[in-house]
Amino acid sequence: MLNAVTDQAIVKLGPHGEVVRWSRGAEATTGYGESEAVGRSVSVLHTEEDRTAALMEQELESARRNGRREFQGWRVRKGGERFLAHITLTPVRAEDGAVTGFVKVFGDVTESARAESLFHGLLESAPDAMVIVGQDARIVLVNRQAEALFGFERAELVGREIEVLVPPRFRDRHVGHRSGFLADPRLRPMGAGLELSGMRRDGTEFPVEISLSPLETVDGTLVAAAIRDVTERRETEQRLLRQRDEILELSTPVIQVWDKVLALPIIGTLDTLRATRLTEGLLEKIARTQAEVAILDISGVPTIDTQVAQHLLKTVQAAALMGTVSIMSGVRPETAQSMVHLGIDMGRLRSRNTLQEALQLALAVLAERAGTAATAARPLMSGDSR
Amino acid sequence: MTDDVVAVMKIGDTLLVALQGDLDDTTVIQIEEQLTREVARTGASGMLIDVSRLSVVDSFIARVLARIVAMVRLLGAQAAVVGIQPAVAITLVELGVQMGHLDTALNAEQGLALLERLRRNDTGTDRP
Repeated sequence: MLNAVTDQAIVKLGPHGEVVRWSRGAEATTGYGESEAVGRSVSVLHTEEDRTAALMEQELESARRNGRREFQGWRVRKGGERFLAHITLTPVRAEDGAVTGFVKVFGDVTESARAESLFHGLLESAPDAMVIVGQDARIVLVNRQAEALFGFERAELVGREIEVLVPPRFRDRHVGHRSGFLADPRLRPMGAGLELSGMRRDGTEFPVEISLSPLETVDGTLVAAAIRDVTERRETEQRLLRQRDEILELSTPVIQVWDKVLALPIIGTLDTLRATRLTEGLLEKIARTQAEVAILDISGVPTIDTQVAQHLLKTVQAAALMGTVSIMSGVRPETAQSMVHLGIDMGRLRSRNTLQEALQLALAVLAERAGTAATAARPLMSGDSR
Repeated sequence: MTDDVVAVMKIGDTLLVALQGDLDDTTVIQIEEQLTREVARTGASGMLIDVSRLSVVDSFIARVLARIVAMVRLLGAQAAVVGIQPAVAITLVELGVQMGHLDTALNAEQGLALLERLRRNDTGTDRP
């Protein structure tokens, strides 16, 4: 019967550790045959150092005094190769209670120990905080990074529900989401598209990114959560957005050149985003200064194509709705040619070659509007945007 | 007599009308009745319609404004729209709402000057 078990070595020892029975499993595990082993001290499996330290005697003594012992230790095969053994040592007693021998059951756990230490090594060396959670949502395992990130000691986290790391206002929802994940466990980022927050021991919150993956183990499916603090990245993103806004702001200045006259020197290519910003900037400035004339200077725009013209026209129309007249300036001869060739129709928008001429026109418009120079302004009326 | 739905102020021979809140079809009809009545009663030569306190200005409101302006013109007065806000102007342009036929001004003061110019044009006496 003993020989039916081959993945576990089963050995019967005499009271001093001498081998009495040697199973086939023992032969397979250690390399020693039954004939070689029986009669010898089982310390033949010990390492040189352990033999010197009389480890076998200590083990037997401990089992004799305390009953069944279970422990792990390094052993040596016949060929000299070491293996990690998981050992159960049970004393066999006579009716009077005297120990007449021992039963030693051991197996080679080198592989699983290696896998486990590899797993722990991976867990600890991962750049992200890792929290492993069981089916009941209680924390099974955390790594050092998780301790550092959340400010909890390992012992404080293990056994607690995962929600201890979630800000209170999200906890109810989180309970629902985690049940959903357990119903269909697969590798995926948590809360795709949402801005997730974690909570430290001291109650402070920080933005996180979390990736979830199921871990199949003998204890059932666990969930591994890799948690990354994205505070810095969020800040960088926001700084970039701010800087982009500032650059747009800088690239679309609106200058008050005269009482009730604004000028917009447009420099560079006019794309939709810039055009929108330009229009907004101009209209806000109009609302603030109550300017009646806006000069759009396009001398800094390399090419006026249909799209750019469309943007300019929209700006002009929006300004007109508020009651402000627009004048275009800085049209170069080649620009004028290409605009007409492209069939661009700027409507009744008045245009001047230079900013100086545009400003003169603006002042004439203002004077006419104020009714003080009716005669000078008369020819302008026909071209007014109304 | 119908209830007044909008406040109308008279400055000289100009009426100042401030439209507010949400306008629905019924209110619009009442406003048209009230404004045409007021122009006829006072003999005003101009009307400024302030839209700065309308919660929404869309193509519907644009049509309403055009209608009011047309009615006022038929009664022999000039009308202009004042107080279109920047966001509203952008929205109207993006929606492609045609408002080119409307006369607009930034504020009541500039609106009065605009009405003055419109009246001069209308009388035709100083046309070259």
